[in-house]
Parts: sequence; structure tokens; C-alpha cells
Amino acid sequence: MDLLRRLLLVLSISAGVLHTDGGPALADGRMTREYDLKAIFLFQFAHFVNWPASTFPDSAAPITIGVLGNDPFGAGLDEVVAGETVGSRRLVVRRFRTIDQVDTCQVLFICSSEATRFEYIHSKLSGRSVLTVGETKDFASRYGIVGFDVQRNRLRLRINVAAADSAKLTISSKLLRQAELVPKG
Amino acid sequence: MDVGRTFAPLVAALLLSALPPAASAESLPEGVESRGDLKKMSIEELFNLEVTTVSTKPEALSATPAAVKVVTGDDIRRMGALSIPEALRYIPGVEVARVDNRQYAITARGFNGTIANKLLVLIDGRSVYTPLFSGVFWDAQDVFLDDVEQIEVIRGPGATVWGANAVNGVINVISKRAADTQGLLVMGGAGSPERGFGGLRYGGKLGSRSFFRLYGKVLDRDSSVRPNGQDVGDDFKTDQGGFRLDGGWGPSSDLTIQGDIYKGSADQRFTDDMEIGGRNVMTRWTRRLAEHSDMQLNAYYDHSLRDMPLTFRETLDTYDVSLRHRLPLGERHDMMWGLGYRLTQDVVGNTPGFAFLPSHQTRNLYSSFVQDEIELSSVLHWTLGSKVEHNDYTGVEVEPSTRLAWTPSATRTLWGAVSRAVRAPSRLDRDLYVPSTPPFFLAGGPNFDSEVLLAYELGYKAQPARNLSAAIATFYNSYDNLRSVRGGPPIVLANDLDGETYGVEGSATLEARKGWRLSGGYTFLRMILRSPSDTSTVKQAGDSPRHQWFARSSLTLAHGLEVDAGVRYVGELPNQKIPSYLATDARLGWRPVPSLEISAVGQNLFDSRHPEFGTPASRKEVERSLYGRATWTY
Repeated sequence: MDLLRRLLLVLSISAGVLHTDGGPALADGRMTREYDLKAIFLFQFAHFVNWPASTFPDSAAPITIGVLGNDPFGAGLDEVVAGETVGSRRLVVRRFRTIDQVDTCQVLFICSSEATRFEYIHSKLSGRSVLTVGETKDFASRYGIVGFDVQRNRLRLRINVAAADSAKLTISSKLLRQAELVPKG
Repeated sequence: MDVGRTFAPLVAALLLSALPPAASAESLPEGVESRGDLKKMSIEELFNLEVTTVSTKPEALSATPAAVKVVTGDDIRRMGALSIPEALRYIPGVEVARVDNRQYAITARGFNGTIANKLLVLIDGRSVYTPLFSGVFWDAQDVFLDDVEQIEVIRGPGATVWGANAVNGVINVISKRAADTQGLLVMGGAGSPERGFGGLRYGGKLGSRSFFRLYGKVLDRDSSVRPNGQDVGDDFKTDQGGFRLDGGWGPSSDLTIQGDIYKGSADQRFTDDMEIGGRNVMTRWTRRLAEHSDMQLNAYYDHSLRDMPLTFRETLDTYDVSLRHRLPLGERHDMMWGLGYRLTQDVVGNTPGFAFLPSHQTRNLYSSFVQDEIELSSVLHWTLGSKVEHNDYTGVEVEPSTRLAWTPSATRTLWGAVSRAVRAPSRLDRDLYVPSTPPFFLAGGPNFDSEVLLAYELGYKAQPARNLSAAIATFYNSYDNLRSVRGGPPIVLANDLDGETYGVEGSATLEARKGWRLSGGYTFLRMILRSPSDTSTVKQAGDSPRHQWFARSSLTLAHGLEVDAGVRYVGELPNQKIPSYLATDARLGWRPVPSLEISAVGQNLFDSRHPEFGTPASRKEVERSLYGRATWTY
């Protein structure tokens, strides 16, 4: 069991390095749970996007953030959105198993579990003012409007402005400035 | 050598047999902002945050009611694996034994051997087992590992969907889409015994929905060593290249075309080099018909060559076409059906010692399957289906299975299954003659029939906390008509061996804190084989370890530092007098700038060498491996 002892030594040294993370290890690396950050962005989109009034049944109707497929957020998204409003509208989170269940929805996060159905989902949403958000590399260019992309441990956005235009969505230039825009055509 | 080496154990066994009987999920580590803090940040600040990926995010397969383990591309990188077999070392229920510097004995749930024959291996849907012995020549199966999306390992029969040979398990290597491998990647490294390896991949865009990539790779590996430390002199070199093209057209159709070409050689001291080579091209067309409905058409051609001067030579051409269609029926039924046809043509160059007769063989395989997943209630799913196959040896084979899954919550699944699977005869079972001209000592297996498995499985998967997932799988396998030897002289191959195997496989992954993942697994396997007439093949129960376990730690630190360590224990193989061993692997990775990764990898660190497979007289040993590697992306 000499080898095992050596391994435990290696592990405990590793753990020791980690535990000093007030020190060198994590000093400049402010680490964030990937899906907490993505949840924050879904929440922020509600502020940086304008939907046509006709998308809502009435002036008091909430802004719905939908999650389609195998939800990766856990309780994180609900926690972020709880009690929040944009103007007079409340924010609510709804989860959908299939695209056919998606009735009223302003922001729709399409989980990677749906990857084989992106094309179909895309076709079902055409003509509707839904800000579709995905996290595969080609999501924004092929199937939706906003794509999350983790590059070099930083979250990046790709935005397809033409797709947003045809969905009659106006995206704030403040957000667009920070994003990579999908070239036209 | 090779097949000489590969078949030597079998031939030896045959010869012998003819002789007279002899955490808490929600606590945030320091340095991680709470969600409340995040909400207060500006967009600019948010973009500057470093993210780490949660390992336990839902994977479609982890919810499937079967013993499934997914090795991601990132896992492969962090293991420091340089080949597919090395990427399979940390999987419960799987046996990986390295035979020499390029050959492996790999199986799931028992019956291991250099000519192991109960595991189906697919690379992007292309079957890579040889109909020569229903097994895999692992030295010829390589991919550009940086472009692997994941390796799915399914233990237990997958015959209903995958077909014959998916008896004890299925390994499915899936490469990334070309859209996900854009840009230039250059990698290279050197060490011992991995003397040198390098590769280059370039991915580009052809249109708004069309992407491609090209790759090339080389490797040069030092000779195998004998137990006394002497070099065998079988230095191994390979060159491989390939491409993938993904395109979409119309609203819902996708087309993938991919191919590879490779050649390799191993030195032989006293004769010309052993050579392998091959090329393959595959095309897959997928059309989505509706939300849960799609149709997929697959076709491939594969050519392979193996030439061992003075011993054996084989060329094999495989043509395969298959169709599968998935469609929901009503509210509760998710149907899938498929059809397939495969044509194999081989030419074996025989030598005086042993021969496959006839030396040319053409075989047809027709298959069809249907499977229905029925939603009995929101928490209870029942899957039943069957494959019906026709092969040229035994005619029609039926391989049904039924599977029940109870999912009381999104994080817990209890499942059970009963399946029948067969291993259809291979060339080796029917056509092997020793020597190659009469009088024969071994005269094939004229009446060799399919081996049959009836498998009972029960398993449970749970994610009790956000950062902890665990799975346990148990099985009882009952085998009939396993291969044995009969009579003599001359002896023939027959089906006089029966037996049972049972086992337990458990694994767990804990995200101990942000950036630190711990995982472990344990495998218990018991094999009981019986034969009224053949005492030699019964002993192969001792070719698989009774106990295996592993533990791994993957640590991600700031400044782009990664520290990985793992230990794996493999119990003794009594039939081969291979002692148990404990091996330690470690990797240190560093990303000084985002586009460059440097790593140092040590495998089998605390042991200069140990044997993993083979009888004392012929075996090679696995040496400590140390190498450095750099990967640059642009």
C-alpha cells in the first residue's frame, strides 16, 4: 500500500494548494459557476431586449424566461429571477419539455439536450418574437439569436442581429457592443 | 507476428487441451461570487469573470436506464490518454489489459483475451471489429483524440439496437462536429516509451451551414519489453490522416461525410516489418421530420490490411448501409426501427502453421430492429424491442430485450432489464485449420453455432446533491454454447461450454469544491464456466480480474494550472499467473497563454514495469510512461 500512501500524499498536497486559495491559487481567478453566470445573462436579456407589445396578452403580463429540455440551472435561475421586475412586468421562469408546450415566452433557453431537434424548434418559432438562446457553438449562426460560448474560461455572446430583426426584437447596443455579431449571409 | 501472437494463446490452448487431461451542494467556495453579487455587476464585469464548468450538468445518457459511462473529450485530455484503449482505463465494468506496445485485451464483464469477442466497438457508427474473430485489432483503431466529443461505454447487451457482437457491451467513439473544431490546432510531444507524436488539425467554414476539418497525426513508440527488461525490437510507427465535412441544406437535413487513411508498421527482428493499413469513408444523412422524429441513413466503406510476413496476411473490405427512423406514436410511444445490410469480403494469406480455409470469404449480414419506449406513467418507462438478424453461418437470430425504468424524480432512476444476445460465428470459429494442410490437428468448427447470452440487469442512478452523482449496476449473465474444443484427432471447435457470470459495478463523482472533482469506481466480477468434456476452456474464467477499483482527482487551479492524479487496481488473473497491480497516473497541465497548453504526463508512475496480460513464457510488460506535450490552438 506504499503506492496508495504516495497517492494520498499527492492528493493532500493538491488539496493544500487549493486550500490556500486566498493565496496564489485563486487570487486573481474569480471563479463562477458557469450556469449561475448564464442564468444572470438570461435575466439581463430581459433588460436589454425590447419585445413588441403584441407579444404580451396585456400590459401586466409577465416576461417569461423559458427553459426547454434538460434544465442545467437547478434552482439558480429561479433564485436570480425571484421578485424581479422590468418596468411593470414581473419576471417568471417556466420549464418546457417540448417545443409544442411553449405558448407564451419571451426568452427561451434551448438546452443542449435538444441539439438533435434545433432545426425543428427553429422552424416552430419562426415568426414569433422569442429571444432564443443556446450554448452550442453554431447556435446563433444556425438555429437562434443568442449563443453562449465559453472561450478561454470567459463567457462570450454571439448574437445574430438579422435573426433578431426578423423576430422583431430590438437588442440594446450596450449588449451588442460586448458581443460577437454573426456575419450576415 | 501479431496474429501469430494473437492466435498463439488459442492455438496453445487447443494444443494443451488435446493432451491427456492434464458535499454540501450549495455552499460556495471562497472566490466565487454569490448569485446576488453577480446580479449587481455590469455587463462588462460579467464578461470578465472566469467560469468553470460543472461536471454534473445533465447528460442525456446519464439518465438512460442502462449501465452507461461517458468519457468526455475533456476527460481524455486530463487523463493524458494518447490512444482509445488508454482512455478506457477508468471505467467500471471494463477490463483494459495492455498486451504489448500496441496490442490490448479489452472487454466488459468478463471473457477477456487478445481475441476477446463479446464487445462491439464503433467509431462514429462504423463497426471496427473484424469478422475474422469478432474482435478488435486495437493497434489499427486510432482517431485524432483532440477532436473526440465523447466515448460512450455501454455495459451489458446492446444487441437489440446494435446487433450481434454487442453481447457484453458497446463502445462508441463519437467525434466532434466540424463546426466545433474550427481553426488550427498543432500538438506534439515526446517521452518514453512514447518516443514522439504529433498532429495537426485545421477546421474551416465552407458556407453558412457547412464546415470541414482535416487532420494528420504521427506516432513513434519504443519497443515492447520482456519481463527480463529486454527489448523485443517491435518499435511501432503509424501515420494517419482524415477529414470531416458537415453540411446542412433545406430546413432540416444534415449531411456528414468523413474518412480516414492510415498505415503503420512494427519492426520484426528476424523478418520484414509487420504492416497495417486502411482507409474508410462514411456518409451520414439525417433528416428531422418532426420534433421527436428523425430519419438517419448511414453508409460506409472500410478497407483494412494486416500483413505479418511469414505468419499471416489479411485484407478486409466492408460495405455497410443502414437506416433508422424514430417516430412518436400517440402521446406515449416513442418508436424506433431500422434496417441494415453489411457485406464483408476478406482474403487471408495463409502460412504452413495455420490457415483460414477457404482463404477468400464473402459474407452477408441482414438486420432489422424495432424498439418502442412506452410512457406507462410520468415516472415509469418501459422499453421493449428486438433485433432480427440473418447471417450466412447460422441463419436467423432473434435478440429481444425489455427494460423498465422508474424515475421518481429527475435525479433518481431505478432500472432493470432482461435481454438476449448472441455472438454469431466468426471465421476463427469455423474456418481455422492447424496446420494448413492435412493431416489436421485442428480442423475448424464445422458445426460451430452462435453463443447465446441471457442477461438480467438491475441498476440505480442518483444525484443526491448538485455536486454528487453515483451509479450502481448489477448483472447476472447466463451463457450457453460458448466456444470449446471437442474430440481429436483432429480436434474441432464446438459449443460445449456453458456458464454464468455475475457482478457489481459502482461509481461516484463528487465536485468537492469548485474546480476539484473526485471520482471513484469499483468492479466485482465472478465467472463460473462448465463443460462436460473440455477442461481447458473452463480456465478462461481466470483471464478476468475478480476485483478492480480506481480513484481519480482532477484539480483546476488559477493561472491555467491543472493537476490530475489517478490510481487503478486490477486483481490477479490466475489463468495467466498475472499478479494484481496498482498503477498510478498523474498529469500536470499549464496554460501560460490561452492558446497554448503544456502538460507533463506520467503513467504507471511508481513501477518501472508490470505485466497485464499473457502467459509467463510469451508475455511483455507495460513500462512506466513519461511524456511531455504541447498543444497550440489558433
